[in-house]
Amino acid sequence: MIVPLKLLNCSKNSFQKMISPCLGHITNVKGDYEVLEDRLKTLPDKVSYDIMVPFGPLAFMPGKLVHTNEITVLLGDNWFAKCSAKQAQMLVEHRKKHVQSALDDLHKTKKNFEARVGFTEDLEKLSDGKGGYVDIREELEGVVCKGKRRVSLKPHSKPKTEAIVKMEEEEEEEMLNAEGSKRGVLSEEELWARLDELEAQEQQEEELDRRFDSADTNGNDDTTSSSSEEEKDEEGDRPAERSKGGTTMPLNGSQVDRTALPPRDGGKEEQEDDEEDDGLPTIHFSHTVEPKKVRINTGKNTTLKFSEMKEQKQQAKRKKNNGTSNGHSHHGLHITSPTDIYRLFVDVKNGEPVPRKSILKSRSRENSVCSDTSESSAADFEERRTLGRSPSHDDNTYSDTGSAITEEDAPTGELPVPTSRFQAFSGTVVEKEPIPLSVPQLTIAPPALPTIPERKLEEVVPEAPQEAPQEAPKRVSKFKAARLQHKGP
Amino acid sequence: MAEAIQKKLQLELEKYQQMQKDVSKSMSARQKLEAQVTENNIVKEELDLLDTQNTVYKLIGPVLVKQDLEEAKATVAKRLEYINGEIQRYEMLLKDMEKKSEQHREVLSSLQQEYQRAQGRAVGKV
Repeated sequence: MIVPLKLLNCSKNSFQKMISPCLGHITNVKGDYEVLEDRLKTLPDKVSYDIMVPFGPLAFMPGKLVHTNEITVLLGDNWFAKCSAKQAQMLVEHRKKHVQSALDDLHKTKKNFEARVGFTEDLEKLSDGKGGYVDIREELEGVVCKGKRRVSLKPHSKPKTEAIVKMEEEEEEEMLNAEGSKRGVLSEEELWARLDELEAQEQQEEELDRRFDSADTNGNDDTTSSSSEEEKDEEGDRPAERSKGGTTMPLNGSQVDRTALPPRDGGKEEQEDDEEDDGLPTIHFSHTVEPKKVRINTGKNTTLKFSEMKEQKQQAKRKKNNGTSNGHSHHGLHITSPTDIYRLFVDVKNGEPVPRKSILKSRSRENSVCSDTSESSAADFEERRTLGRSPSHDDNTYSDTGSAITEEDAPTGELPVPTSRFQAFSGTVVEKEPIPLSVPQLTIAPPALPTIPERKLEEVVPEAPQEAPQEAPKRVSKFKAARLQHKGP
Repeated sequence: MAEAIQKKLQLELEKYQQMQKDVSKSMSARQKLEAQVTENNIVKEELDLLDTQNTVYKLIGPVLVKQDLEEAKATVAKRLEYINGEIQRYEMLLKDMEKKSEQHREVLSSLQQEYQRAQGRAVGKV
């Protein structure tokens, strides 16, 4: 980047030229005034002084300085005033104030300029790529939207293709494998073809889900709608589709995805510093895919937040695992983020791993009324639901971080999923409220990490073997529920 | 055809340069006025610091003429007002000039484009 260099030099030079004489001049003036002040202080000490009077430019004459207290001051603009030495001193003080303010202004401008110079220097370093600056890029692949079910077929094509193109670039640069390099050269047309395939799949799934919707309270509508929203988005669709029952990605597509995935699955991980064209090391950051958060009105003026991706990924995992649940901590789990820690803290209840509400709390407390996390009883649902509302904020963090994990785990044919066996949550949560269908109903896949089952929505994933949906249509307060529980068993 | 455009271009260019000169003149005049304003402000303040016992003189040519302090203050105040008025006037003038020069710039650029096109055509023909 030659241009900023030039600019930098030019601006530096010009400003130096401008400012240094000004600064010099003003400091001189200030010095003069100070000398003058001193002289004024001492002058009236004597009635007259014997001095050598300058007589032209070359000669001096002995003389006397009289009227030592009478000073004629030039006030400016051809105005003069005769005043005593003390009054003159006052005037000098007044002038010095002005000079000082001018000096301060000059200093300020100098600082501003220096800051600017600093920035251009940084820019220079940046362009060189040696200054220790790293570019962190995040490709936006899904538009995060809150709200109701969106109409499908939104024109997302442009930004997504950019992301896709970028991904291709990355692939080319990274050269993960021979295939990868080949795939990197994939034309856009192939990607578009892939898009079309995905669209068709989406439509199929939508139909499927509509059929299921009548059976469920919450159906998969939201997931489908969400997936349909992401129609144009390949990457976004991949996890959605994988989670969908039965439909697997076509082989060729999966290959594309595979190669495309690793850079994306890097997720929060830092990718190698691939040198981009402009010579700057780049970290490709992709946010954990958590595009959909839908607020569901549970009727009590509370809303729960959902994250679809998490569910979908959990579905996918469940699909893979097929019921093998590692109840307790799966020590093979490679901890790369805080969410992994949460994953370790999982209790097994009724044969299913259940997320612990808090990793700080001991197990014993969890059996108490207030923090019952078991899923077996209907009463428990109530409790959990009411309880779960409080740590809603936690859920968001979980969901965000969780989806990172889930994203990593997002299975393609090849990528091993270390935590796949782990089912944190049975995934069948019943929505107690008769929520109108217009409100987006999300189905939750069992969270990949043990999140607090805040939402009491039931999800029936068609393909995954699940526990029987636990019905608890009537809402009961947690205390009542506890009472019932104690009464019953 | 190209030559005609060229002549036009030159005319416009000269006009534009003239405008720029005028603009810069007004700018410098305005800057002078600004300096005078600050000076007169300082004089006013210092006159306020003095009292009637001090004699105030005004330099008119080579002569220092005695002035009354109050008179001096009034005079300085009037001068200040006058200078501010002048500054306002110059600002208006500058604005107008800027607009005109903008118009000229646009005309100039369009003419340039035409000229280049004409040049291109001429080259093509030949």
